Amino acid sequence: MKTKSGSKNPKAEIENAAQSDAPAKPGFCPRIETEIAGIRFQNPVWTASGTFGYGQEFAHLIDLNQLGAIVVKGISPEPMEGNPAPRIYETESGMLNAIGLQNVGAKRFLTEKLPFLRTLRARCIVNVFAYSTEDYVRCIEILNAGEGIAAYELNISCPNTRCGGIIYGSDPKLTAEVVTAAKKAARFPLFVKLSPNVTDITVFARTAEAAGADALSLVNTFVGMSIDVATRTPRLSNLTGGLSGPAIKPVALRMVYQASRAVKIPIIGIGGIASTEDALEYFIAGARAVQVGTANFYDPTTSLRIVQGLRDYLQQGHLHLSNLIGSLKVPESPTPSSA
Amino acid sequence: MYDKIVAVTENRPLTGGHFLLSLDSPEQAQATRPGQFAMVRMLGRSDVLLRRPMSIYDVKTRDHAAKDSARRARPAPEHPCILQLLYKVVGRGTRLMSELKPRDRVGLLGPLGHGFFEEDYLPRAHEAGEILHVAGGIGIAALLLPARKLAEAGIRQRLFFGGRSKEDLVGVDDFKPLVRAMLLATEDGSAGYRGFVTRPLDEYLAKHSNQRFLLFACGPWAMLQATVELARKYRHTCLVSMENRMGCGLGVCLGCSIRVQGSGHEAYQRVCTEGPVFWAEKVVWEKETIAKT
Repeated sequence: MKTKSGSKNPKAEIENAAQSDAPAKPGFCPRIETEIAGIRFQNPVWTASGTFGYGQEFAHLIDLNQLGAIVVKGISPEPMEGNPAPRIYETESGMLNAIGLQNVGAKRFLTEKLPFLRTLRARCIVNVFAYSTEDYVRCIEILNAGEGIAAYELNISCPNTRCGGIIYGSDPKLTAEVVTAAKKAARFPLFVKLSPNVTDITVFARTAEAAGADALSLVNTFVGMSIDVATRTPRLSNLTGGLSGPAIKPVALRMVYQASRAVKIPIIGIGGIASTEDALEYFIAGARAVQVGTANFYDPTTSLRIVQGLRDYLQQGHLHLSNLIGSLKVPESPTPSSA
Repeated sequence: MYDKIVAVTENRPLTGGHFLLSLDSPEQAQATRPGQFAMVRMLGRSDVLLRRPMSIYDVKTRDHAAKDSARRARPAPEHPCILQLLYKVVGRGTRLMSELKPRDRVGLLGPLGHGFFEEDYLPRAHEAGEILHVAGGIGIAALLLPARKLAEAGIRQRLFFGGRSKEDLVGVDDFKPLVRAMLLATEDGSAGYRGFVTRPLDEYLAKHSNQRFLLFACGPWAMLQATVELARKYRHTCLVSMENRMGCGLGVCLGCSIRVQGSGHEAYQRVCTEGPVFWAEKVVWEKETIAKT
């Protein structure tokens, strides 16, 4: 059952923002396909890992065939049980999570989840997680047998596991090591999902590019915490968790902008995208695709509304998506120092 | 399961910061099975993002509900059209909900989850001599629809209901026609027994140790844990309706997972999907891990 919640969303009017421009030329049809690492995506609006399960959970709520891609929940070589409850806590305009990558493991993903994903027009991107370089490679080797995987997204940025994940994403040497090894093993293109919990994102963007990454997804969640003052205990069993949602958007957008100027490979923008305008900002900053994350939890129609909103915006401006990407007009001064 | 924008018909304040929210949603009301829940989304807020999980307290025909919506064309009168959520103000989300007025609109996802009669529970209820409902505070909200279904099936029932004070004991009038007896308990002694609800429960189970009971329990973790210990002690079966923070209600965020018997990725199950109703023996009770708000 599809909802009409779009019409009630406070940001709905933004979907029409581009209408202030001159009316479209008759016959003009904006192209919103995007190509990354030789893979063609029917549109640049994807769902982010960990926020969309394995796709099927949303099949009765939205038309999955309208999505550009589904990035599935992080898959590890063996099944993982995740962290104890409580695992989530809502904060102002965001949420903290410390799920701990509970997942079915690579083998069961191939037999139980991939056959459904393969039937969709949306591309399937598999987020890959492990505790060591060897296990990242092992996970990819298992997944290489899968038919219908468009690309891997190497998760070197999960903040909620004891080892692996963010350790790899916050030390350039380890980033280089794991990306090199993963690229060598991967049968499909390799995207690398970067952590925002670093001083200079461009260092990691360049490192991943040099190590062979085909594209970069950024960003993962920001490490945060919340305290229950009545009991003076942390709100999450894991003490800290990853912050996502609209609260992180300006910071994530800045990082996407910086990274897109630091590397030649495509950037996939992630962080607090809940409306067409949010997505447009990322494209203008330099993202070649975007991923909708936390918004899937409270409004599963978000991605499809953005696809339509993007089309409308481009139509009104007589633009194709390629005209929009990286089209930021920066005044003479000031300019960000590290861009 | 439906994801809809629905209109408020009434948001009735009760005692102790509790409210009964009535929503006009025939499809969702008619699809509801006892023990299921729904997720409420406050529209037009970018600071309160996530939907809030709420037990579906009751479903009503329009005749019995607020008059605001009575003007509209309605299906056959025997079908419920109004879905009711009983909630207590505990944080930002519920505070916002408490400000809802008739004709305001909210997002409503539901009905969701695995309720009280999805498996072989009803035959088990028939086998048992009597069903004992054990509710703590707002946990009462999960038990009215099951109690009504059991009453329709002619099964004997008894309600044990505890709260901090008598203001917390909302909804007792709704249970009166359905159960043979109600045993109330309050921590401050303002109604019924002074102390926890497990005290009258313990006394009752001790007095009737030769009978077989099936327990339906919903409430705070500590109350559930104590109830499950009593059930174990007197060798009765117990079903629990679990609460937890939830991100999506759809089974994808894995935020509401609780520890259950099992290993690997099966060591945790989602309250929103495999639950909220679990066999008590399946849940790992050793540690209090469920979030308070």
